[in-house]
Amino acid sequence: MDRNSPPPQQGKPRFTIVDFLLFAALAALIIYAVYRVNDVLVYHWNWSRVLGFLVKYDQESESWVSNLLLQGLATTLRLAIWATVFATLVGVVMGYWRTCQNLALRIVSRCYVELIRNIPPIVFIFIFYFFVSSQLFPAIGIHNIDKDNPWVANEVFAFLFGNPALLDNFLAGMICLSLFEGAYITEIVRAGIQSTPKGQWEAARSIGLSPFNVLRDIILPQAVRKILPPLAGQFITLIKDSAIISLISIQELTFVANEVAATTTRVFETWILVGAMYFVLCYSFALLFAHLERRAKRSQR
Amino acid sequence: MILSKQLKPLLLATLLVVAGNIATISAATAGMLEDVQKRGTLRVGMSTFVPWAMRDKDGNLIGFEIDVATQVAEDMGVKVEFVPTAWSGIIPALIAKKFDIIIGGMSITPQRNLTVNFTTPYAHSGQQMAANMQLAGDFKTREDFNSSDVTIACRRGATPCKAAQKLFPKATVRRFDDDAQAFQEVVNGNAHGMISSAPKPRFWSDAHPTKVFLPFGDENLTKGDEAFALRKGDPDALNFFSNWIVVKTSNGWLQERHDYWFKDQSAWKDMVAPQ
Repeated sequence: MDRNSPPPQQGKPRFTIVDFLLFAALAALIIYAVYRVNDVLVYHWNWSRVLGFLVKYDQESESWVSNLLLQGLATTLRLAIWATVFATLVGVVMGYWRTCQNLALRIVSRCYVELIRNIPPIVFIFIFYFFVSSQLFPAIGIHNIDKDNPWVANEVFAFLFGNPALLDNFLAGMICLSLFEGAYITEIVRAGIQSTPKGQWEAARSIGLSPFNVLRDIILPQAVRKILPPLAGQFITLIKDSAIISLISIQELTFVANEVAATTTRVFETWILVGAMYFVLCYSFALLFAHLERRAKRSQR
Repeated sequence: MILSKQLKPLLLATLLVVAGNIATISAATAGMLEDVQKRGTLRVGMSTFVPWAMRDKDGNLIGFEIDVATQVAEDMGVKVEFVPTAWSGIIPALIAKKFDIIIGGMSITPQRNLTVNFTTPYAHSGQQMAANMQLAGDFKTREDFNSSDVTIACRRGATPCKAAQKLFPKATVRRFDDDAQAFQEVVNGNAHGMISSAPKPRFWSDAHPTKVFLPFGDENLTKGDEAFALRKGDPDALNFFSNWIVVKTSNGWLQERHDYWFKDQSAWKDMVAPQ
């Protein structure tokens, strides 16, 4: 076989009898679970009240507007996007420091990464929320922000940060999440920088580029291409991790769902619906990123 | 030595800044009432708990507590702002100044009182039990529930769990994040009974008449005193809210609101569920 011939054709995957048995067993299990819920638990499904918390009919504007659950989803999305921006900033700086010559910077970034990665997220979030944010925010005056200020009371602000009354709450959650995810992004960035062959550094330095120019023009463009897929994965992880901050009463989807479940007493319906909402959100992003990745690959050729 | 000479002024400066900050913070929080009036909003920490505070079908907060907090704010001449908070973290959040006051149907307990100040009680609720008809249908007395093969569900971090442990020391107590989950365990037959603040168990047994009943009728297992909770060290605010409650008890306003939300669901059922 010469080297120009196409790779050997792989046989088309076919269902074998084992696959059929596996799927049949799975289907039986699901049917059994449904039977248990319906006949043994005697659960009266009632979706109307829970679904009513998705959208409501506004009498004043005579149109359908988002209700609690969709507002929670918007907050989750807003949190995830802001937290990704900040986590990326933290991660790029810390990730570069991890690879620096300077020992002090290396110690700082190493401590940050190890500290965050070795305590449970919820413990970190409690410490941050009850100690750090309660000292930090009053000091910079965020907790007493004037809600009628024209900078705050406008559509753009509401679109970017949600309800101004809950701004310090939102910021606390956002900073918690970004510091937490930043540690993982630091490691992704470090891996990206270190995966660029050493020869590239040496060659760039030898033609007289400054270390900063080497990083900006030679190393980062190559590193970014490598780390984009894991970064996209980390973004989706961040959306899911954001459920944890419901425990510090950030009004995101999980917190709102708790309220809806408590109000309606429809526990199963609420959580099944909320699970579906998270799935749709995360899976759409996964598809989008996969699409972008394919396009980026094609454009590289 | 050289290092310490360089560090000394730096350290001193840092200390001064920190001290200054502490001074301004303590000056700013000299009185919660002044803070609230300057800001123009009373920030109220609460947690969803039918019928104290819940969501109507448009997602707005309604309930006994919401009426009470709105009225307090109105009487202070400020706006009210509700901060929905997870129940298990509501006291730490008060201490961390996430809001000014808890108006959340919180029962006075000596343990809680060591951490926060309570006003005069504004409501007296009790704990009721709802039980699974199949598992506990023939249970007549409290002693029937006090057995090692009985499971009792309750909401974590709340008074009902303490009541369950005290009244039924032999029973297994299972804790859940909210009442709805605890109640679902009873409907599912995984727990014999659940304890929750009245009148929720009655509302639930009305909703599931074939599965759930009240073993002790409307008789309450325990009696509680619900009060507003405030951060320690502010006698002025404590005095204001306590006396507000005294006045509203004397003129019958609190009783009238309590009856509206607690007697039965007929008055507000349409607000929460599309019929």
